[in-house]
Amino acid sequence: MIGTLVANDIKLFFRHRFFAIVTAIGVVFYLVIYFLLPNQVDESLGMAFFIEDREIPLYQSLVDEPGDYTIFDSEAEMLTALEETGDFFVGLSLPADLTAAAARGETVELNAYYAPGVPAEAKQIFHDVLVLVANTVNPETLADLARFNDTPVVLGNDMTGAPLSMRDRIAPLLLMMIVVIEVFGLATLLNRDVDNGTARALVTGPLRLHQFFVGKALMGMVLAFGQVLILSAVMGVLGTAPLLLLATLLLGSFLMVGLGFFIAAISKDNASVMGWTIVFIIPMVFPGFSILLPGLATGWMELIPSYYFVDSLHRIINFGAGWADVAGNLTLLLLVGAGSMAVGTAAIMRKF
Amino acid sequence: MAQPAISVKDLTFSYGDVLAVDDISFDVAEGEVIGFLGPNGAGKSTVVKMLTGQLTPQNGSATLLGMDIVKDRKQVQQEIGISFEFTNLYEQMNAVENLNLFAKLYRVPDFDAIDLLQKVGLGGRDKEHVANYSKGMKQRLMMARALVSDPKMLFLDEPTDGLDPVSTETIHTLIRAATQTGTTVFLTTHDMVEADKLSDRVAFLNQGKIVALDTPARLKQRFGMRALKVEVELPNGDIEVREVTLDEDQTPQTVFDLFKSERILTVHSEEATLEDIFFDITGRGLQG
Repeated sequence: MIGTLVANDIKLFFRHRFFAIVTAIGVVFYLVIYFLLPNQVDESLGMAFFIEDREIPLYQSLVDEPGDYTIFDSEAEMLTALEETGDFFVGLSLPADLTAAAARGETVELNAYYAPGVPAEAKQIFHDVLVLVANTVNPETLADLARFNDTPVVLGNDMTGAPLSMRDRIAPLLLMMIVVIEVFGLATLLNRDVDNGTARALVTGPLRLHQFFVGKALMGMVLAFGQVLILSAVMGVLGTAPLLLLATLLLGSFLMVGLGFFIAAISKDNASVMGWTIVFIIPMVFPGFSILLPGLATGWMELIPSYYFVDSLHRIINFGAGWADVAGNLTLLLLVGAGSMAVGTAAIMRKF
Repeated sequence: MAQPAISVKDLTFSYGDVLAVDDISFDVAEGEVIGFLGPNGAGKSTVVKMLTGQLTPQNGSATLLGMDIVKDRKQVQQEIGISFEFTNLYEQMNAVENLNLFAKLYRVPDFDAIDLLQKVGLGGRDKEHVANYSKGMKQRLMMARALVSDPKMLFLDEPTDGLDPVSTETIHTLIRAATQTGTTVFLTTHDMVEADKLSDRVAFLNQGKIVALDTPARLKQRFGMRALKVEVELPNGDIEVREVTLDEDQTPQTVFDLFKSERILTVHSEEATLEDIFFDITGRGLQG
């Protein structure tokens, strides 16, 4: 019976031109975005040099050993490359007498040419590197430097040597987005069923009330989970802890189905479903963007239920987290999903 | 009366402070058509909603086919067919899909949607989306949906309200056909002609109370006054209509005098309509 209802609802969903198009385009669009983004991180510093006297011993290593830099034959060539190619963030022109003057302790003028848009922090770091280099040239000043040993301690996941690419970072966001979008479809269909009286026809006829709601919840799960499954399979992220990932996707879909019930309950018509969906969807996607742009992450995002969905996805896909690592998140997803579904169901029943 | 198909005792329901159904009691025999007649807001739909399990009575009790409408709500609902007051079909689906969905949910074996659609006059329009149907077609489809599970009892809430004469007649034919197979029909309407034509008995509902319940003929006999309407031609050529009330002692003499002294053009017998009777009993019309 419930299977018949679910099949009918899915048929109705895809008969709704808007939902059908959004669903099809959504999956394709997200995949295109995902595969267009680079899957590697460019960690090169992109430095450009013009060295007037390449025989000076200090510069021998630069000349002989390849690195994240390019040595140009003239200052003009270097400046053109710096300005036009976008491959370099800083260029240095090293006149022949510069090293000797620095070694003698004289003040030397050195121009560092920066590409447009280089942030102040990067300029400061490069300046500090130059000071250190200058000090190695002049042992007297080196003697004045404070001596210390530093021990690097990385908080959280140590990304040294394995940085996350944009593709890695956007994966949790895209997976969450495709599920979130289904909230609108589910809420619209549910609201329409109640509004048009078809729900009443069903529950005063062949169906019991709980069968109707279970059917709707399953329909939402099939739509949300089905799409996110396709997306994650094509993205190739299912290979990492597949069972855990499937469980997370399932619970994330459950959370969104609960939200769909809640939105349907508080909406009066299709227009208000649209309005409420926007109100809820915008904060729901914030946590996803905070993974894409880590600077956005703030503590209050943990108040948004979708945080626990996207955080789990991020940890599983990008850091190989296990069941124990995300158990807390998954429990919260289950509780919030069940809670919003219970509240939504109770509110919808009042409309019958 | 044998075991009644519907037995209602002291049924009451209020919407907040508004008393919609006020302590009503009645029985309906199996295979009977009962018409609930009353103006808008009289409580007809509330009675239907309680009997079909859409509302829980606040007081009183009722059984349908021997089952309690509260305790056995779902079993009751499995045995009845409902045509709702407002259209509630899946408009993005065609008629066959609408009927097949309910047939599957009711688990009706070998269900033939096309056959049923032909019976309600929708054969040939079965592939169209319901959204393109006229109001009359939708109402006929609602009637067909109510018949999908071959129910023992039909609840028809204003089934012909606002319909064209052809659709109305189709629905009347369907109701008559259903009663011939022993289906009990609970019909609510504010169309007294419809109630008169279809109902074995009618109940007048006014402000939540049943103010009269009997066969249309007996109600007319009890409350109505029979009359003769006589058209006479006056000496100057004008035509005048005279009304002679029947069932009075002086009626024979009055009729005799009329025929003797006047040039009679036509004579018609008249009886009170249900609307007249409703007005006499309640002091208000059925359209109110």
